[in-house]
Amino acid sequence: MSETKDKAKIKEAVKRRKRETYTPVVPDLQLGFVHHNVDCIGCRACEIACKDKNGLAAGPRFRRVQYIEGGTYPEVFAYKVNMSCNHCETPACLPTCPTGALFKRKQDGIVDIDSTLCIGCRRCEAACPFGAPQFDPSDNLVKKCNMCVDEIEAGRKPYCVMACMMRVLDIGPVEQIWNGELQSVAIGPNDEVSRQVQNMADVELTKPSIGFIAHSKGKVK
Amino acid sequence: MSTKQNEQDILQRLNLSRRSFLKSSAAGGAAIATGGLVELQTAKEARAFAYEPYPRDDQLETVVTSCAHNCGSRHMLVAHKWKDVIVRLSTDDGRYQRNGYFGKDSNEEPQLRACLRGRSYRQRLYSAERLLYPMMRVGERGEGKFKRVSWDEALDQIARKMIHLKDTYGRTALLDQSYAGASYGVLHKSDQIEGLLGRFLGMFGSRTSSWSVPSYQGTTFSSRMTFGTIEDGNEDDAFAHSKLMIMWGWNPAYTFHGGNTFMYMRMAKQRGCKFVLVDPQYTDSAAAYDAWWIPIKPNTDAAMLAGMAHYIFTNELQDQAFIDRFCQGMDAGTMPEWAQGKENFKDYILGTYDGEPKTPEWAAKICGVPAKDIKKLADMYAKTKPAALKASWAPGRNAYGEQYNRMAAALQAMTGNIGNLGGSAEGVGKAWHAEAVAYPYDQYANIWFQAIKSDRWAHCVLNYPNVKREEIGLWQREDETDGQIPNIKGIFWQGSDWFNQLTNINKEIEAINKLELVVCMDSTITPSGLYADFLLPIATHFERHDVALPWYKGHYYIHRPKVIEPMGESKTDFQVFTELAYRIGGDVFGKAYNPKANRDYFHVNDNVDEAYLREWWDTKVIPHQHVNMSWDEFKQRGVYKFNLAQPHVAFRDQIENGTRFQTPSGKIEILATSLAQITDWKKTMYGYEIPYIPKWIEPWESLNSPKTSKFPFHLISPHPRWRTHSIFNNCSWLRETYEQEVTMNAADARKLDIKTGDTVEVWNDRGKCVVPVYVTERCMPGVAVLHEGAWIDLDENGVDRAGNPDMLTLDEPSPAGAFAYNTVLCNIRKTDLEHRPGWDKLATSRAHVFRRDL
Ligand code: SF4
Ligand code: SF4
Ligand code: SF4
Repeated sequence: MSETKDKAKIKEAVKRRKRETYTPVVPDLQLGFVHHNVDCIGCRACEIACKDKNGLAAGPRFRRVQYIEGGTYPEVFAYKVNMSCNHCETPACLPTCPTGALFKRKQDGIVDIDSTLCIGCRRCEAACPFGAPQFDPSDNLVKKCNMCVDEIEAGRKPYCVMACMMRVLDIGPVEQIWNGELQSVAIGPNDEVSRQVQNMADVELTKPSIGFIAHSKGKVK
Repeated sequence: MSTKQNEQDILQRLNLSRRSFLKSSAAGGAAIATGGLVELQTAKEARAFAYEPYPRDDQLETVVTSCAHNCGSRHMLVAHKWKDVIVRLSTDDGRYQRNGYFGKDSNEEPQLRACLRGRSYRQRLYSAERLLYPMMRVGERGEGKFKRVSWDEALDQIARKMIHLKDTYGRTALLDQSYAGASYGVLHKSDQIEGLLGRFLGMFGSRTSSWSVPSYQGTTFSSRMTFGTIEDGNEDDAFAHSKLMIMWGWNPAYTFHGGNTFMYMRMAKQRGCKFVLVDPQYTDSAAAYDAWWIPIKPNTDAAMLAGMAHYIFTNELQDQAFIDRFCQGMDAGTMPEWAQGKENFKDYILGTYDGEPKTPEWAAKICGVPAKDIKKLADMYAKTKPAALKASWAPGRNAYGEQYNRMAAALQAMTGNIGNLGGSAEGVGKAWHAEAVAYPYDQYANIWFQAIKSDRWAHCVLNYPNVKREEIGLWQREDETDGQIPNIKGIFWQGSDWFNQLTNINKEIEAINKLELVVCMDSTITPSGLYADFLLPIATHFERHDVALPWYKGHYYIHRPKVIEPMGESKTDFQVFTELAYRIGGDVFGKAYNPKANRDYFHVNDNVDEAYLREWWDTKVIPHQHVNMSWDEFKQRGVYKFNLAQPHVAFRDQIENGTRFQTPSGKIEILATSLAQITDWKKTMYGYEIPYIPKWIEPWESLNSPKTSKFPFHLISPHPRWRTHSIFNNCSWLRETYEQEVTMNAADARKLDIKTGDTVEVWNDRGKCVVPVYVTERCMPGVAVLHEGAWIDLDENGVDRAGNPDMLTLDEPSPAGAFAYNTVLCNIRKTDLEHRPGWDKLATSRAHVFRRDL
């Protein structure tokens, strides 16, 4: 695929990428996800909705519901941590892209990949601490969640959010998610939102735009 | 082609004059042209690409439809299509109903969001396993060698064979094994008892019916005996009102039972409801609702419930006023006149007659739950109001599973948690009553000449005629054929993969080779299909016109238009039966079977289907259910949601207004009147005695039996999350989210030196399968869990490499008809044998075999 890439476009994109690596894009509004780790039943309807929406074959998974369990019989616990791309404030993926295919949108902070520029080198895949970029061998491209920009632009919400059977996954301005102002059934009456949960990469690495209602065993500190 | 005898028979059955028959029969044999393959718009042409440019939803045509199989729910699917291809599916987002808007999701009219299986429907629809044209077997049964034939040839041969079998072996020669697999709508209905196939075979005059329901016969029996109905369920919003919820073997996080139940339970949790899970596994439901987990040995539930009843009686915590008013046979005071002096439920619990008080300590020895926990739970249940004991189906799929369900109903009654908001009398759990029938429904709807317990067919075929009626659970008949053992020579599968799904597959394999006609009607090839003589390609619900019903909870209708044209040469079941009827019995049979259709229905069905559906809406839905939406508006919107004045609670009327229960006594029958009056059990469909009050009965195998020295694990096979029984097993999206694996406890695994991901053999005397292992602390020691529904893939030694637990189950039903799916001991060891997770590798090639023109 790479031989058909537009060289001039790449050149320009690389310039933009260099600039944005040193002075990251500060979005007008940063959208982010919120997920309730306890009330999520782990059904993965969100995952499948995403696969269908994006026409993916088995293999690449933009959204991944992780199952966490622990304890010793019969004192056990279990919860879920659901992540796709976190559309980070300082994306680790973006600076690694040799063609500048990765970009962060000014209007909503969504991190997207311009697939006409992607050469499938998989550097971003290695750089992301959350495993978000997914290599698709069927067309030798790296793809990832783009927060369903088309749906957002149409005034709706992403497929995964609208698929959630428990209504525990949502999007919103991430500041509101973190400070508890977001009106969303994903967040219950007495729930507190945390930015970091157990076994998740340090949020200081990229400042991911996501909040969780953590399980008591998944709380950090 | 019809024989004289057959014609006469149908004439008589349909009660039509000879004259009209003769006049029209000439048209009956008209041959139909073989249609060429419809050129397919492949999904590839329209495949959504992850990034621009791809068709956005708003550039596509939006069509509201729904799922269609027997999962326990019925959710909306919205097809976004380009020309004749469904590009992607979404679900209810609040926009489609009347007064809807994007995001509307109220408690009264919640969105009907599809689960992961529904969302993956495109993979099933466009799968490599899709049947596209009729096929005829050319190899051995099970070998998977077929050749393509025309519809004309296939139907001609099937019709001839049917007549031959009826003429030769009589009215019981054809076994109806239809099931609710893929055709649950008001018009195109596959159903065990009263679906399209049942009516077709009944009218034809040769039908042995299968009466016990695999999923919940124990539960059905219990609900019928105790409450006189299976409509013992609350609508799902009622679950938001409980203060205590005991999930007994119930895992809605896996089964998605009842539309939005799990969501309303979250609401209950937010309002302070406490949850308890009694189950051998710490399920995702336990995790999500933060439940107190009480691990219990499989198939010992009735004992634990009896222990709880003992605690409640001896501490006088029962709701005596409720008992006195509404129950029969709970205690001495509620015994009917005719049963004075007989043992009542309290007598049994206290051990008055058998000298064995069913104390929590007694129960603890059986069920493995410490007596203090049994007492604690009993105390909680008796003292919290309203409290819902949700007695699910799984523990009823056992030897004497009906006793568990009956015992649970007794507890629901003794704590007075029936008919109140936040309580529960479930059981079966069927709630809101839909207008379910748009297909022709008349005196021919359920004609049968013998009816057997569904999992006894192989036994019956293999041992005919040396079979006793009680062995096969023969239903009583009012005529001279009562007690006649059916001489089964053929099987029809419609919306059914029963060969893969019933018990003791090895015995089925033996039996199927004795049959002379096996017809499989499905939209994909299935493991059952491999054993068929004819494979008939059936249009999916995306390819025919229908209306969807909620499965057992929910109050709405969803329109299901023909979203795309049928793929290949697919036809609807209704078209196939109608055509067969014309071929077998000319216009008489054809017209009687499908009154609105003409002879050309096999080729043009749209107007006829529309006429049935419109009539149903206009004459049933609008007048009976006070619906003020026209059929045309309904079609345009795609959904009608009922807005109930208050949450529907079963038996509210009985409790609040004193209306009679539908039992013989009009009360909640802890003592079942009808059972107490049976004297000759052999002559009943049960075959063997069932106590008239709930009792603990030792199952034929369990962790308490001596057999554990040879087979130390108790195998249970719950419904999986990523399939509906065997449907969707071929979808790679689902396959990558979950795998077929046997779950076992970490300490058990250590002893056998087994780690997660190892491949093991799971076996007993009846069969063996090969699967990977998931080792966890979340499973009770001694218990192994293997989900039902994997597509059998047998090696040369008859070992199933796919991991289907029914290689090991026993085809011995409980007296009330409950399948004993969960009454299985087995052993487990590491193996070098290869697990074959699906048909992909081998099976893509197999799919090619199916399509090869021989
Ligand atoms: S989650 Fe990974 S891929 Fe997404 S923006 Fe952050 S670093 Fe990039
Ligand atoms: S926002 Fe869209 S692309 Fe991202 S995970 Fe959800 S469905 Fe997938
Ligand atoms: S759809 Fe909702 S409940 Fe299901 S796994 Fe995804 S986030 Fe969890």
